[in-house]
Parts: sequence; structure tokens; C-alpha cells
Amino acid sequence: MAAVPVTCVRLTTSMHTNQIIGKPSTLKLVSFGRATSGLSRLSRFQISCAAKPETVTKVCEIVKTQLALSADSVVEPDSKFSALGADSLDTVEIVMTLEEEFGISVEEENSQNITTVQEAADLIEKLVEKKNATA
Amino acid sequence: MVGSRAPKLSGIQKQVLSLYRGFLRTTRSKPPENRAHIESIISGEFRKNSKLIDRKDFLHIEYLIRRGKKQLDQLKTVDSVTLSSSNVDDSTKP
Repeated sequence: MAAVPVTCVRLTTSMHTNQIIGKPSTLKLVSFGRATSGLSRLSRFQISCAAKPETVTKVCEIVKTQLALSADSVVEPDSKFSALGADSLDTVEIVMTLEEEFGISVEEENSQNITTVQEAADLIEKLVEKKNATA
Repeated sequence: MVGSRAPKLSGIQKQVLSLYRGFLRTTRSKPPENRAHIESIISGEFRKNSKLIDRKDFLHIEYLIRRGKKQLDQLKTVDSVTLSSSNVDDSTKP
């Protein structure tokens, strides 16, 4: 059961990376890295932007329980909360639950920008990192 | 962030959501045995009004926000440990 979301995660993160690299704006970023081959460039970017699969899976689980979705419904990293049937009140609830589960505090303006599982997971990783750095 | 945009929320919607967040945050400090009950009343109230009230009825919404803020202040005081709701039937009004 747990294997399914994990494979989903891999698939979509690599898609993300392709999209990002396809954009001309990231050319600047690439030149910073002084990467000699396209391959290392790719892995470098993946490390810096994609959240850990565990985090994404946990977020998926929380979203599922919060929205009372059936166990067999699929929540993917790219799933939009609104597409899963969440309204803005649900989104607030999801963010609050995530805060508690991960022991973080999400700024008000940030929490309104979260629309997908992936975005939530990315933000969580960033905040957890920050928390560990200050602790 | 990649590809997805948050739905644009109006100022008043943001106020409501921020109030909701404030309520949920406050319930964390309440005794666990009461917390679920408090949360269900809060979310019930918000959801009821979200369906009941026209989104353009700003006067009414602003009134409810003000009332909600006062209620939140009361809930924040340490000694209030639980909430109760009473049903006042609007249809009985003259």
C-alpha cells in the first residue's frame, strides 16, 4: 500500500524537474552550479527543491484524513486541494493539522499559497530545516 | 512554486480564514477531552455561515467577524475550558 504513493512521488518530482529546466529562467541558476553535464545538473536541482518522499506521503495521509476521503482514493503530490473537494476552510484545517504534526508554525501569508500536497511538503521541509537550525 | 496558483481570496475572505485559524490555534491550549467538542462547534459555525450567508452580504459578514473576534477573545482566557452552542431559531422572529 505504501509503495504506491512513493512511486507516484518519484514520477512527479522528475516531471517537476523537467518543467523547471525547460524554463529559460533557470538557465541562470544552472550557470551558478558550474555543472559539466546535464545529468548532475538534474540531480542537483532535485535535491534542492523536492521534498522527501516520507514527508509527501505523510502529507497525503493527513490530507486524506482531514478531508475524510475513502481509503482507496488516490492523493498525489500534484493533487490540488480544491480538486479533492476542499474549500478554503478545509485548507485552513489541513494547514493547522500539518503544523501540529510536524511541530512547525506556518506564516499566515504562506499558508494561503499552499494549494497542492507538493507545495505543502516543500514548505514543511523548509520550515523543519529552519527549526532544526535554530534549535 | 510550479504551475499552480492559489485562488484569489478577497480581503474579507482572508479575514474570515484568519479568524478561523485563530480559533483553531486557541483550541490547542484547551484540555484534550474538550478540544474535539470545541473544534466541532467552531467548524460547524463557520461552515453553516459559509453556506447560509450570501458572499456579497458584507455588512452581515463584517458583523459576524466582529462578533467572532470577541468570542475568540473570550475563548482565549485561560479559564474558559469549553464551549456550548444554543440554537436560536430565526424563523420565530416577528
